[in-house]
Amino acid sequence: MSDSTMTRRDFLRTTTAAAVVGTVAMPLFAGQSSGKKAKVILIRHQNVVDNDWKVDKAIIAQMLDDAMVSLFDVKSAEEAWKKVVKPGDVVGIKTNVWRYLRTPLELEEEMKRRIMAVGVEEKNMSIDDRGVLSNPVFARATAVINVRPMRAHNWSGVGGCLKNYIMFTPSPPDYHPDSCVDLGAIWKLPAIAGKTRLNILLMLTPQFHCMGPHHFDKEYTWLYKGMLVSTDPVAVDAVGLKIIEAQRAIYFKEPTPMRPPVRHIAAAEEKHGVGIANPKNIDLVKLGWKEESLI
Amino acid sequence: MGSILLLLPLMMTPSDTLTQAVLQKLLPTSVHEWNFAEPSRVYTGREIFKYMDGAGEVYLAYGFQRLLVQRYVHPNQEEILVEIFDMGLPRNAYGAFTNMQGRGPAVEIGQNGEYKSGLLTFWKGRHFVCVMIDRENDDAKRAVLEMGAMISEAIKEEGAIPGILQYLPIGEFSPESLRYFFRNEILNIHFYVADKNLFHLGDKTDAVLVRMKSNRSYLMLVQYDRSGNAQAAYEDFSTHYMPEAHGSGIVQTESGKWSACRKERNFLTAVFDAPTQSEAQKLLDTVQRRLR
Repeated sequence: MSDSTMTRRDFLRTTTAAAVVGTVAMPLFAGQSSGKKAKVILIRHQNVVDNDWKVDKAIIAQMLDDAMVSLFDVKSAEEAWKKVVKPGDVVGIKTNVWRYLRTPLELEEEMKRRIMAVGVEEKNMSIDDRGVLSNPVFARATAVINVRPMRAHNWSGVGGCLKNYIMFTPSPPDYHPDSCVDLGAIWKLPAIAGKTRLNILLMLTPQFHCMGPHHFDKEYTWLYKGMLVSTDPVAVDAVGLKIIEAQRAIYFKEPTPMRPPVRHIAAAEEKHGVGIANPKNIDLVKLGWKEESLI
Repeated sequence: MGSILLLLPLMMTPSDTLTQAVLQKLLPTSVHEWNFAEPSRVYTGREIFKYMDGAGEVYLAYGFQRLLVQRYVHPNQEEILVEIFDMGLPRNAYGAFTNMQGRGPAVEIGQNGEYKSGLLTFWKGRHFVCVMIDRENDDAKRAVLEMGAMISEAIKEEGAIPGILQYLPIGEFSPESLRYFFRNEILNIHFYVADKNLFHLGDKTDAVLVRMKSNRSYLMLVQYDRSGNAQAAYEDFSTHYMPEAHGSGIVQTESGKWSACRKERNFLTAVFDAPTQSEAQKLLDTVQRRLR
Protein backbone atom coordinates (compact mmCIF):
# COMPACT_ATOMS: atom_id res chain seq x y z
CA MET A 1 0.00 0.00 0.00
CA SER A 2 1.46 3.35 -1.00
CA ASP A 3 2.03 6.07 1.59
CA SER A 4 0.20 8.52 -0.65
CA THR A 5 -3.15 7.19 0.48
CA MET A 6 -5.87 9.86 0.55
CA THR A 7 -8.30 9.24 3.39
CA ARG A 8 -11.49 10.74 4.71
CA ARG A 9 -9.38 12.48 7.33
CA ASP A 10 -7.51 14.38 4.62
CA PHE A 11 -10.87 15.75 3.49
CA LEU A 12 -11.69 16.72 7.03
CA ARG A 13 -8.38 18.55 7.47
CA THR A 14 -8.99 20.56 4.30
CA THR A 15 -12.54 21.54 5.13
CA THR A 16 -11.79 22.26 8.77
CA ALA A 17 -8.89 24.52 7.86
CA ALA A 18 -11.03 26.36 5.32
CA ALA A 19 -13.76 26.86 7.88
CA VAL A 20 -11.29 28.29 10.37
CA VAL A 21 -10.04 30.96 7.98
CA GLY A 22 -13.55 31.69 6.78
CA THR A 23 -13.04 30.78 3.15
CA VAL A 24 -15.11 28.57 0.95
CA ALA A 25 -13.89 25.02 1.35
CA MET A 26 -12.88 22.98 -1.66
CA PRO A 27 -12.49 19.39 -0.59
CA LEU A 28 -9.43 17.70 -1.96
CA PHE A 29 -8.00 20.95 -3.23
CA ALA A 30 -4.77 21.73 -1.48
CA GLY A 31 -3.14 23.90 -4.14
CA GLN A 32 -2.15 27.51 -3.59
CA SER A 33 -2.86 30.43 -5.89
CA SER A 34 -1.03 29.81 -9.17
CA GLY A 35 -1.46 33.32 -10.51
CA LYS A 36 -3.79 32.15 -13.27
CA LYS A 37 -7.34 33.39 -12.99
CA ALA A 38 -10.64 32.24 -14.38
CA LYS A 39 -13.73 34.38 -14.86
CA VAL A 40 -17.12 32.82 -14.29
CA ILE A 41 -20.47 34.50 -14.80
CA LEU A 42 -23.37 33.36 -12.66
CA ILE A 43 -26.64 34.70 -14.00
CA ARG A 44 -30.08 33.96 -12.58
CA HIS A 45 -33.63 35.02 -13.40
CA GLN A 46 -36.66 34.36 -11.24
CA ASN A 47 -38.90 33.52 -14.22
CA VAL A 48 -36.58 31.60 -16.54
CA VAL A 49 -38.22 28.33 -15.59
CA ASP A 50 -41.62 27.67 -14.01
CA ASN A 51 -42.67 25.06 -11.47
CA ASP A 52 -43.29 22.56 -14.29
CA TRP A 53 -39.77 23.21 -15.56
CA LYS A 54 -41.03 24.96 -18.67
CA VAL A 55 -38.29 27.25 -19.92
CA ASP A 56 -39.07 30.81 -20.99
CA LYS A 57 -37.32 31.14 -24.32
CA ALA A 58 -37.03 34.94 -24.29
CA ILE A 59 -35.65 35.05 -20.77
CA ILE A 60 -33.06 32.34 -21.26
CA ALA A 61 -31.92 34.07 -24.45
CA GLN A 62 -31.54 37.34 -22.57
CA MET A 63 -29.66 35.60 -19.77
CA LEU A 64 -27.24 34.14 -22.28
CA ASP A 65 -26.73 37.52 -23.93
CA ASP A 66 -26.11 39.27 -20.62
CA ALA A 67 -23.68 36.59 -19.49
CA MET A 68 -21.74 36.75 -22.75
CA VAL A 69 -21.45 40.53 -22.63
CA SER A 70 -20.13 40.36 -19.09
CA LEU A 71 -17.80 37.43 -19.70
CA PHE A 72 -16.09 39.05 -22.67
CA ASP A 73 -16.41 42.57 -21.31
CA VAL A 74 -17.96 43.94 -24.50
CA LYS A 75 -20.96 46.12 -25.32
CA SER A 76 -23.22 43.65 -27.13
CA ALA A 77 -23.97 39.97 -27.42
CA GLU A 78 -23.09 40.11 -31.12
CA GLU A 79 -19.67 41.38 -30.25
CA ALA A 80 -19.24 38.69 -27.61
CA TRP A 81 -20.12 35.85 -29.97
CA LYS A 82 -17.59 37.19 -32.47
CA LYS A 83 -14.97 36.50 -29.83
CA VAL A 84 -16.17 32.91 -29.57
CA VAL A 85 -16.45 31.89 -33.22
CA LYS A 86 -15.45 33.20 -36.64
CA PRO A 87 -17.45 32.88 -39.87
CA GLY A 88 -15.09 30.21 -41.18
CA ASP A 89 -15.35 28.00 -38.13
CA VAL A 90 -16.96 24.57 -38.09
CA VAL A 91 -18.84 24.52 -34.80
CA GLY A 92 -19.96 21.60 -32.67
CA ILE A 93 -22.24 22.21 -29.73
CA LYS A 94 -21.74 19.40 -27.25
CA THR A 95 -25.05 19.18 -25.48
CA ASN A 96 -26.51 16.68 -23.04
CA VAL A 97 -29.70 14.76 -23.72
CA TRP A 98 -30.16 12.77 -20.50
CA ARG A 99 -33.90 12.42 -20.59
CA TYR A 100 -34.60 13.57 -17.05
CA LEU A 101 -32.49 16.69 -17.14
CA ARG A 102 -31.41 17.66 -20.62
CA THR A 103 -30.06 20.89 -22.07
CA PRO A 104 -33.20 22.87 -22.98
CA LEU A 105 -33.94 22.95 -26.69
CA GLU A 106 -34.74 26.66 -26.32
CA LEU A 107 -31.15 27.33 -25.33
CA GLU A 108 -29.72 25.14 -28.07
CA GLU A 109 -31.77 27.04 -30.64
CA GLU A 110 -30.65 30.39 -29.28
CA MET A 111 -27.01 29.40 -29.37
CA LYS A 112 -27.38 28.21 -32.94
CA ARG A 113 -29.04 31.47 -33.89
CA ARG A 114 -26.25 33.51 -32.31
CA ILE A 115 -23.52 31.46 -33.96
CA MET A 116 -25.16 31.72 -37.39
CA ALA A 117 -25.50 35.47 -36.86
CA VAL A 118 -21.71 35.64 -36.72
CA GLY A 119 -21.58 34.11 -40.19
CA VAL A 120 -21.08 30.40 -39.54
CA GLU A 121 -22.97 28.42 -42.19
CA GLU A 122 -25.65 26.04 -40.96
CA LYS A 123 -23.98 23.12 -42.73
CA ASN A 124 -20.94 23.83 -40.60
CA MET A 125 -22.80 23.47 -37.31
CA SER A 126 -24.08 20.54 -35.36
CA ILE A 127 -25.61 19.91 -31.95
CA ASP A 128 -24.92 16.44 -30.60
CA ASP A 129 -24.30 14.42 -27.47
CA ARG A 130 -23.86 10.68 -27.69
CA GLY A 131 -23.00 10.70 -31.39
CA VAL A 132 -20.16 13.19 -31.40
CA LEU A 133 -17.52 10.65 -32.41
CA SER A 134 -19.43 9.62 -35.52
CA ASN A 135 -20.75 13.08 -36.35
CA PRO A 136 -19.06 14.43 -39.52
CA VAL A 137 -19.38 18.05 -38.42
CA PHE A 138 -17.72 17.30 -35.08
CA ALA A 139 -15.04 15.36 -36.95
CA ARG A 140 -13.98 18.54 -38.76
CA ALA A 141 -14.94 20.97 -35.99
CA THR A 142 -12.59 23.87 -35.37
CA ALA A 143 -14.63 25.15 -32.42
CA VAL A 144 -16.67 23.39 -29.77
CA ILE A 145 -19.15 24.84 -27.31
CA ASN A 146 -19.95 22.80 -24.23
CA VAL A 147 -23.37 23.06 -22.60
CA ARG A 148 -25.17 20.88 -20.09
CA PRO A 149 -27.06 20.86 -16.79
CA MET A 150 -25.34 20.18 -13.46
CA ARG A 151 -26.33 17.09 -11.50
CA ALA A 152 -25.21 14.70 -8.83
CA HIS A 153 -23.76 11.48 -10.19
CA ASN A 154 -23.55 8.09 -8.51
CA TRP A 155 -20.06 7.31 -9.75
CA SER A 156 -18.24 10.62 -10.32
CA GLY A 157 -19.95 12.68 -7.60
CA VAL A 158 -21.26 15.25 -10.07
CA GLY A 159 -21.73 15.50 -13.79
CA GLY A 160 -20.80 18.92 -15.14
CA CYS A 161 -18.93 20.45 -18.05
CA LEU A 162 -15.84 18.30 -17.53
CA LYS A 163 -17.79 15.07 -17.58
CA ASN A 164 -19.80 16.16 -20.62
CA TYR A 165 -16.82 15.36 -22.82
CA ILE A 166 -16.70 11.67 -21.94
CA MET A 167 -18.46 11.02 -25.23
CA PHE A 168 -15.33 12.16 -27.04
CA THR A 169 -13.54 8.99 -26.03
CA PRO A 170 -14.31 5.67 -27.73
CA SER A 171 -13.86 3.97 -24.37
CA PRO A 172 -15.61 5.91 -21.57
CA PRO A 173 -14.98 3.15 -18.98
CA ASP A 174 -11.26 3.95 -19.20
CA TYR A 175 -12.08 7.13 -17.28
CA HIS A 176 -14.24 5.54 -14.59
CA PRO A 177 -11.57 4.46 -12.07
CA ASP A 178 -11.31 6.30 -8.77
CA SER A 179 -14.60 8.16 -9.13
CA CYS A 180 -13.65 9.36 -12.64
CA VAL A 181 -10.74 11.35 -11.22
CA ASP A 182 -9.07 11.67 -14.61
CA LEU A 183 -11.91 13.17 -16.63
CA GLY A 184 -9.65 16.16 -17.27
CA ALA A 185 -7.43 13.95 -19.43
CA ILE A 186 -10.23 13.66 -22.00
CA TRP A 187 -9.80 17.31 -22.76
CA LYS A 188 -6.38 16.57 -24.22
CA LEU A 189 -7.58 13.92 -26.67
CA PRO A 190 -6.88 14.87 -30.31
CA ALA A 191 -10.60 14.95 -31.14
CA ILE A 192 -11.18 17.82 -28.76
CA ALA A 193 -7.90 19.34 -27.54
CA GLY A 194 -7.80 23.12 -27.79
CA LYS A 195 -11.14 23.47 -29.53
CA THR A 196 -13.44 24.48 -26.68
CA ARG A 197 -14.39 28.13 -26.81
CA LEU A 198 -17.20 28.34 -24.25
CA ASN A 199 -18.64 26.34 -21.35
CA ILE A 200 -22.18 26.75 -20.07
CA LEU A 201 -23.17 24.86 -16.95
CA LEU A 202 -26.91 25.06 -16.52
CA MET A 203 -28.18 25.50 -12.99
CA LEU A 204 -31.85 25.95 -13.83
CA THR A 205 -33.06 22.88 -11.92
CA PRO A 206 -29.88 21.21 -10.66
CA GLN A 207 -29.95 17.80 -9.05
CA PHE A 208 -28.06 17.90 -5.76
CA HIS A 209 -28.35 14.29 -4.60
CA CYS A 210 -28.87 10.84 -6.03
CA MET A 211 -29.32 7.33 -4.74
CA GLY A 212 -28.18 4.54 -6.99
CA PRO A 213 -27.51 4.29 -10.68
CA HIS A 214 -31.09 5.29 -11.57
CA HIS A 215 -30.31 8.56 -10.03
CA PHE A 216 -33.05 10.93 -10.99
CA ASP A 217 -35.50 12.01 -8.36
CA LYS A 218 -37.24 15.36 -8.65
CA GLU A 219 -37.21 15.59 -4.87
CA TYR A 220 -33.47 16.14 -5.11
CA THR A 221 -33.70 19.05 -7.54
CA TRP A 222 -34.55 22.66 -6.88
CA LEU A 223 -35.44 25.74 -8.88
CA TYR A 224 -32.15 27.61 -8.73
CA LYS A 225 -32.88 29.30 -12.09
CA GLY A 226 -29.31 30.06 -13.00
CA MET A 227 -26.54 29.36 -15.46
CA LEU A 228 -22.75 29.54 -15.19
CA VAL A 229 -20.77 30.71 -18.20
CA SER A 230 -17.02 30.72 -18.67
CA THR A 231 -14.27 29.85 -21.09
CA ASP A 232 -12.91 27.62 -18.30
CA PRO A 233 -14.69 24.25 -17.88
CA VAL A 234 -13.03 23.52 -14.54
CA ALA A 235 -14.04 26.85 -13.02
CA VAL A 236 -17.74 26.49 -13.93
CA ASP A 237 -17.78 23.00 -12.44
CA ALA A 238 -16.02 24.20 -9.29
CA VAL A 239 -18.55 26.98 -8.77
CA GLY A 240 -21.47 24.70 -9.62
CA LEU A 241 -20.24 22.17 -7.08
CA LYS A 242 -20.14 24.78 -4.33
CA ILE A 243 -23.75 25.71 -5.05
CA ILE A 244 -24.84 22.08 -4.98
CA GLU A 245 -22.97 21.46 -1.73
CA ALA A 246 -24.67 24.47 -0.17
CA GLN A 247 -28.07 23.15 -1.21
CA ARG A 248 -27.25 19.74 0.27
CA ALA A 249 -26.42 21.32 3.61
CA ILE A 250 -29.80 23.08 3.56
CA TYR A 251 -31.76 20.00 2.51
CA PHE A 252 -30.07 17.53 4.84
CA LYS A 253 -29.75 20.07 7.67
CA GLU A 254 -26.06 19.26 8.12
CA PRO A 255 -22.96 19.40 5.92
CA THR A 256 -23.38 16.38 3.65
CA PRO A 257 -20.44 15.74 1.34
CA MET A 258 -21.11 14.53 -2.17
CA ARG A 259 -21.20 10.76 -2.42
CA PRO A 260 -18.84 9.73 -3.83
CA PRO A 261 -16.54 12.69 -3.23
CA VAL A 262 -15.87 14.82 -6.30
CA ARG A 263 -12.23 14.39 -7.17
CA HIS A 264 -12.12 15.11 -10.89
CA ILE A 265 -12.56 18.87 -10.64
CA ALA A 266 -9.50 19.54 -8.50
CA ALA A 267 -7.55 16.94 -10.49
CA ALA A 268 -8.45 18.71 -13.73
CA GLU A 269 -6.39 21.65 -12.51
CA GLU A 270 -3.71 20.01 -10.42
CA LYS A 271 -3.01 16.96 -12.57
CA HIS A 272 -4.27 17.78 -16.06
CA GLY A 273 -3.95 21.54 -16.21
CA VAL A 274 -7.16 22.16 -18.13
CA GLY A 275 -8.49 24.99 -15.99
CA ILE A 276 -8.87 26.58 -12.58
CA ALA A 277 -10.56 24.77 -9.69
CA ASN A 278 -9.18 26.75 -6.78
CA PRO A 279 -11.89 29.22 -5.71
CA LYS A 280 -9.22 31.73 -4.75
CA ASN A 281 -8.41 32.06 -8.41
CA ILE A 282 -11.94 32.30 -9.74
CA ASP A 283 -13.46 35.73 -10.31
CA LEU A 284 -17.16 35.13 -9.89
CA VAL A 285 -19.44 37.78 -11.38
CA LYS A 286 -23.03 37.51 -10.21
CA LEU A 287 -25.80 38.94 -12.38
CA GLY A 288 -29.58 39.01 -12.10
CA TRP A 289 -31.70 37.48 -9.36
CA LYS A 290 -29.75 37.40 -6.11
CA GLU A 291 -32.06 35.64 -3.64
CA GLU A 292 -30.72 32.39 -2.22
CA SER A 293 -27.79 32.33 -4.59
CA LEU A 294 -25.95 30.11 -2.08
CA ILE A 295 -22.54 31.44 -3.08
CA MET B 1 -35.11 -6.55 5.44
CA GLY B 2 -37.10 -9.72 5.11
CA SER B 3 -38.46 -11.18 8.31
CA ILE B 4 -36.75 -14.48 7.72
CA LEU B 5 -33.01 -14.42 7.34
CA LEU B 6 -31.83 -17.08 4.97
CA LEU B 7 -28.17 -17.23 5.65
CA LEU B 8 -25.65 -17.54 2.90
CA PRO B 9 -22.12 -18.83 3.34
CA LEU B 10 -19.30 -16.42 2.53
CA MET B 11 -17.71 -18.26 -0.34
CA MET B 12 -19.78 -18.83 -3.43
CA THR B 13 -19.07 -19.72 -7.01
CA PRO B 14 -20.78 -17.57 -9.62
CA SER B 15 -23.20 -19.53 -11.70
CA ASP B 16 -23.59 -19.31 -15.45
CA THR B 17 -25.10 -16.23 -17.02
CA LEU B 18 -28.76 -16.64 -17.82
CA THR B 19 -29.62 -16.69 -21.50
CA GLN B 20 -31.67 -13.99 -23.16
CA ALA B 21 -34.46 -16.49 -23.63
CA VAL B 22 -34.59 -17.26 -19.92
CA LEU B 23 -34.71 -13.57 -19.03
CA GLN B 24 -37.26 -12.90 -21.76
CA LYS B 25 -39.65 -15.42 -20.22
CA LEU B 26 -39.86 -13.27 -17.11
CA LEU B 27 -41.52 -10.46 -19.04
CA PRO B 28 -45.28 -10.13 -19.42
CA THR B 29 -46.25 -9.50 -23.02
CA SER B 30 -48.64 -6.77 -21.94
CA VAL B 31 -50.16 -5.12 -18.91
CA HIS B 32 -53.52 -3.45 -19.47
CA GLU B 33 -52.88 -1.51 -22.69
CA TRP B 34 -49.11 -1.40 -22.41
CA ASN B 35 -47.45 -3.59 -25.03
CA PHE B 36 -43.92 -4.29 -26.26
CA ALA B 37 -42.58 -1.22 -28.05
CA GLU B 38 -39.71 -3.03 -29.73
CA PRO B 39 -37.72 -6.22 -29.30
CA SER B 40 -35.84 -6.59 -26.03
CA ARG B 41 -32.25 -5.48 -25.90
CA VAL B 42 -29.58 -7.41 -24.04
CA TYR B 43 -26.25 -6.27 -22.66
CA THR B 44 -23.72 -8.72 -21.29
CA GLY B 45 -20.79 -7.89 -19.00
CA ARG B 46 -19.05 -4.68 -19.99
CA GLU B 47 -21.54 -4.12 -22.78
CA ILE B 48 -23.57 -2.45 -20.03
CA PHE B 49 -21.64 0.72 -20.87
CA LYS B 50 -23.46 0.84 -24.20
CA TYR B 51 -26.63 1.28 -22.20
CA MET B 52 -25.44 3.40 -19.28
CA ASP B 53 -22.17 5.18 -18.68
CA GLY B 54 -20.54 5.42 -15.25
CA ALA B 55 -23.59 3.98 -13.53
CA GLY B 56 -22.74 0.65 -15.13
CA GLU B 57 -19.73 0.44 -12.82
CA VAL B 58 -22.05 0.06 -9.85
CA TYR B 59 -23.62 -3.08 -11.30
CA LEU B 60 -20.24 -4.47 -12.37
CA ALA B 61 -19.01 -3.95 -8.80
CA TYR B 62 -21.84 -6.23 -7.73
CA GLY B 63 -20.97 -8.98 -10.18
CA PHE B 64 -23.38 -8.02 -12.98
CA GLN B 65 -23.78 -10.65 -15.70
CA ARG B 66 -26.49 -9.63 -18.15
CA LEU B 67 -29.18 -6.98 -18.57
CA LEU B 68 -32.46 -7.31 -20.44
CA VAL B 69 -34.18 -4.04 -21.36
CA GLN B 70 -37.77 -3.91 -22.55
CA ARG B 71 -39.91 -0.88 -23.32
CA TYR B 72 -43.69 -0.96 -23.20
CA VAL B 73 -45.86 1.63 -24.93
CA HIS B 74 -49.45 2.70 -24.45
CA PRO B 75 -51.35 4.86 -26.94
CA ASN B 76 -52.13 7.61 -24.42
CA GLN B 77 -49.73 7.01 -21.59
CA GLU B 78 -46.19 7.07 -20.31
CA GLU B 79 -43.76 4.52 -21.69
CA ILE B 80 -42.79 1.87 -19.15
CA LEU B 81 -39.17 0.78 -19.08
CA VAL B 82 -38.23 -2.57 -17.59
CA GLU B 83 -34.67 -3.57 -16.73
CA ILE B 84 -33.97 -7.08 -15.50
CA PHE B 85 -30.41 -7.55 -14.25
CA ASP B 86 -29.05 -11.06 -13.97
CA MET B 87 -26.57 -10.47 -11.15
CA GLY B 88 -25.24 -14.03 -11.17
CA LEU B 89 -25.82 -14.67 -7.46
CA PRO B 90 -28.51 -13.72 -4.96
CA ARG B 91 -25.98 -11.87 -2.80
CA ASN B 92 -25.14 -9.66 -5.78
CA ALA B 93 -28.79 -8.93 -6.48
CA TYR B 94 -29.38 -8.18 -2.81
CA GLY B 95 -26.36 -5.87 -2.79
CA ALA B 96 -27.54 -3.99 -5.88
CA PHE B 97 -30.88 -3.48 -4.16
CA THR B 98 -29.37 -2.27 -0.90
CA ASN B 99 -27.09 0.09 -2.80
CA MET B 100 -30.09 2.29 -3.50
CA GLN B 101 -32.55 1.31 -0.79
CA GLY B 102 -34.08 4.02 1.33
CA ARG B 103 -35.36 6.01 -1.66
CA GLY B 104 -38.97 5.49 -0.74
CA PRO B 105 -41.60 3.28 0.84
CA ALA B 106 -41.26 -0.50 0.78
CA VAL B 107 -43.61 -2.53 -1.43
CA GLU B 108 -44.31 -6.22 -1.24
CA ILE B 109 -42.79 -7.11 -4.58
CA GLY B 110 -39.82 -9.45 -4.86
CA GLN B 111 -37.90 -10.31 -1.72
CA ASN B 112 -37.54 -6.62 -0.95
CA GLY B 113 -38.98 -3.81 -3.04
CA GLU B 114 -39.35 -0.05 -3.03
CA TYR B 115 -41.39 2.37 -5.10
CA LYS B 116 -40.98 6.11 -5.37
CA SER B 117 -41.58 8.75 -8.05
CA GLY B 118 -42.23 6.30 -10.86
CA LEU B 119 -39.37 3.91 -10.09
CA LEU B 120 -39.94 0.42 -8.70
CA THR B 121 -36.88 -1.54 -7.65
CA PHE B 122 -36.83 -5.04 -6.21
CA TRP B 123 -34.64 -8.12 -5.98
CA LYS B 124 -35.51 -11.78 -6.07
CA GLY B 125 -33.16 -14.71 -6.42
CA ARG B 126 -30.27 -13.61 -8.62
CA HIS B 127 -32.31 -10.85 -10.25
CA PHE B 128 -32.40 -7.14 -9.58
CA VAL B 129 -35.28 -5.46 -11.37
CA CYS B 130 -36.23 -1.86 -12.16
CA VAL B 131 -39.58 -0.87 -13.63
CA MET B 132 -40.01 2.83 -14.31
CA ILE B 133 -41.91 5.67 -15.88
CA ASP B 134 -40.65 9.20 -16.43
CA ARG B 135 -43.71 11.11 -15.27
CA GLU B 136 -45.82 9.50 -12.61
CA ASN B 137 -49.61 9.30 -12.77
CA ASP B 138 -52.04 6.98 -11.03
CA ASP B 139 -52.71 4.65 -13.96
CA ALA B 140 -49.08 4.34 -14.96
CA LYS B 141 -48.03 3.80 -11.35
CA ARG B 142 -50.58 1.01 -11.04
CA ALA B 143 -49.25 -0.58 -14.23
CA VAL B 144 -45.65 -0.34 -13.00
CA LEU B 145 -46.50 -2.09 -9.75
CA GLU B 146 -48.56 -4.71 -11.52
CA MET B 147 -45.82 -5.36 -14.05
CA GLY B 148 -43.27 -5.66 -11.23
CA ALA B 149 -45.47 -8.16 -9.42
CA MET B 150 -45.83 -10.24 -12.60
CA ILE B 151 -42.07 -10.32 -13.14
CA SER B 152 -41.53 -11.25 -9.50
CA GLU B 153 -44.07 -14.04 -9.83
CA ALA B 154 -42.26 -15.35 -12.91
CA ILE B 155 -38.97 -15.56 -11.00
CA LYS B 156 -39.41 -18.87 -9.21
CA GLU B 157 -36.32 -19.06 -7.03
CA GLU B 158 -35.64 -17.01 -3.93
CA GLY B 159 -32.17 -16.06 -2.75
CA ALA B 160 -30.49 -16.13 0.62
CA ILE B 161 -29.72 -12.94 2.47
CA PRO B 162 -25.99 -12.77 3.27
CA GLY B 163 -25.15 -14.38 6.60
CA ILE B 164 -23.05 -11.44 7.79
CA LEU B 165 -26.25 -9.55 8.56
CA GLN B 166 -26.96 -11.78 11.57
CA TYR B 167 -24.11 -10.11 13.47
CA LEU B 168 -25.57 -6.62 13.21
CA PRO B 169 -27.36 -5.22 16.27
CA ILE B 170 -30.86 -5.54 14.89
CA GLY B 171 -33.16 -2.72 15.93
CA GLU B 172 -30.32 -0.33 16.68
CA PHE B 173 -29.62 0.82 13.12
CA SER B 174 -31.82 2.41 10.46
CA PRO B 175 -32.84 -0.47 8.16
CA GLU B 176 -33.01 1.78 5.11
CA SER B 177 -29.35 2.74 5.63
CA LEU B 178 -28.12 -0.84 5.21
CA ARG B 179 -25.67 -1.33 2.34
CA TYR B 180 -24.29 -4.75 1.54
CA PHE B 181 -21.22 -4.91 -0.70
CA PHE B 182 -17.82 -6.42 -1.24
CA ARG B 183 -15.98 -3.78 -3.25
CA ASN B 184 -14.20 -0.65 -2.02
CA GLU B 185 -15.81 1.45 -4.76
CA ILE B 186 -19.24 0.84 -3.28
CA LEU B 187 -18.05 1.58 0.25
CA ASN B 188 -16.69 4.89 -0.97
CA ILE B 189 -20.01 5.85 -2.54
CA HIS B 190 -21.79 5.50 0.78
CA PHE B 191 -19.00 6.38 3.19
CA TYR B 192 -15.73 7.57 1.77
CA VAL B 193 -12.84 6.00 3.69
CA ALA B 194 -9.83 6.23 1.39
CA ASP B 195 -8.81 6.11 -2.23
CA LYS B 196 -6.90 2.90 -1.48
CA ASN B 197 -8.65 -0.31 -0.51
CA LEU B 198 -7.59 -0.20 3.16
CA PHE B 199 -10.06 -2.90 4.21
CA HIS B 200 -8.85 -5.26 1.45
CA LEU B 201 -12.41 -5.67 0.17
CA GLY B 202 -12.91 -8.04 -2.74
CA ASP B 203 -14.86 -11.00 -4.03
CA LYS B 204 -13.77 -13.10 -1.04
CA THR B 205 -15.09 -10.63 1.51
CA ASP B 206 -18.57 -9.68 2.67
CA ALA B 207 -19.23 -6.23 4.05
CA VAL B 208 -22.18 -4.37 5.44
CA LEU B 209 -22.53 -0.71 6.40
CA VAL B 210 -25.34 0.73 8.52
CA ARG B 211 -26.07 4.01 10.26
CA MET B 212 -27.00 3.84 13.92
CA LYS B 213 -30.29 5.32 15.10
CA SER B 214 -29.09 6.66 18.44
CA ASN B 215 -26.09 8.78 17.47
CA ARG B 216 -25.94 8.67 13.63
CA SER B 217 -22.55 6.96 13.67
CA TYR B 218 -21.64 4.44 10.98
CA LEU B 219 -20.99 0.79 11.69
CA MET B 220 -19.21 -1.41 9.18
CA LEU B 221 -18.62 -5.12 9.51
CA VAL B 222 -16.34 -7.04 7.15
CA GLN B 223 -16.01 -10.81 6.98
CA TYR B 224 -12.84 -12.31 5.50
CA ASP B 225 -12.20 -15.84 4.36
CA ARG B 226 -9.37 -16.24 6.88
CA SER B 227 -8.38 -14.63 10.17
CA GLY B 228 -4.98 -13.75 8.74
CA ASN B 229 -6.57 -11.69 6.00
CA ALA B 230 -8.66 -9.84 8.58
CA GLN B 231 -5.48 -9.10 10.53
CA ALA B 232 -3.69 -7.79 7.43
CA ALA B 233 -6.60 -5.47 6.66
CA TYR B 234 -6.72 -4.29 10.27
CA GLU B 235 -3.05 -3.38 10.15
CA ASP B 236 -3.39 -1.59 6.83
CA PHE B 237 -6.40 0.41 7.99
CA SER B 238 -4.76 1.27 11.33
CA THR B 239 -1.52 2.35 9.71
CA HIS B 240 -3.10 4.63 7.12
CA TYR B 241 -6.26 5.87 8.79
CA MET B 242 -5.25 6.22 12.43
CA PRO B 243 -1.44 6.24 12.59
CA GLU B 244 -1.41 8.22 15.85
CA ALA B 245 -3.49 5.51 17.54
CA HIS B 246 -0.37 3.29 17.60
CA GLY B 247 -2.40 0.12 17.28
CA SER B 248 -5.03 0.97 19.89
CA GLY B 249 -7.67 0.95 17.18
CA ILE B 250 -9.40 4.16 18.25
CA VAL B 251 -8.83 7.80 17.40
CA GLN B 252 -10.55 11.17 17.53
CA THR B 253 -10.60 12.55 14.01
CA GLU B 254 -10.49 16.11 12.70
CA SER B 255 -14.29 16.35 12.88
CA GLY B 256 -14.09 15.90 16.65
CA LYS B 257 -15.80 12.52 16.32
CA TRP B 258 -14.35 9.09 16.98
CA SER B 259 -13.35 6.27 14.67
CA ALA B 260 -12.54 2.81 15.92
CA CYS B 261 -11.71 -0.61 14.55
CA ARG B 262 -11.40 -4.08 16.08
CA LYS B 263 -10.63 -7.58 14.80
CA GLU B 264 -12.47 -10.63 16.06
CA ARG B 265 -11.83 -14.02 14.43
CA ASN B 266 -12.09 -13.42 10.67
CA PHE B 267 -14.12 -10.23 11.10
CA LEU B 268 -13.28 -6.55 11.29
CA THR B 269 -15.68 -4.11 12.88
CA ALA B 270 -15.25 -0.40 12.24
CA VAL B 271 -17.11 2.54 13.72
CA PHE B 272 -17.01 6.00 12.16
CA ASP B 273 -18.28 9.34 13.42
CA ALA B 274 -19.20 8.24 16.95
CA PRO B 275 -19.79 11.31 19.13
CA THR B 276 -17.66 10.00 22.01
CA GLN B 277 -14.91 7.48 22.61
CA SER B 278 -17.10 5.44 24.91
CA GLU B 279 -19.92 5.25 22.34
CA ALA B 280 -17.48 4.00 19.71
CA GLN B 281 -16.14 1.34 22.06
CA LYS B 282 -19.60 0.34 23.22
CA LEU B 283 -20.67 -0.32 19.65
CA LEU B 284 -17.57 -2.40 19.00
CA ASP B 285 -18.31 -4.37 22.18
CA THR B 286 -21.89 -5.01 21.06
CA VAL B 287 -20.81 -6.46 17.74
CA GLN B 288 -17.98 -8.42 19.34
CA ARG B 289 -20.45 -10.16 21.65
CA ARG B 290 -22.55 -11.15 18.66
CA LEU B 291 -19.50 -12.53 16.89
CA ARG B 292 -18.51 -14.76 19.80
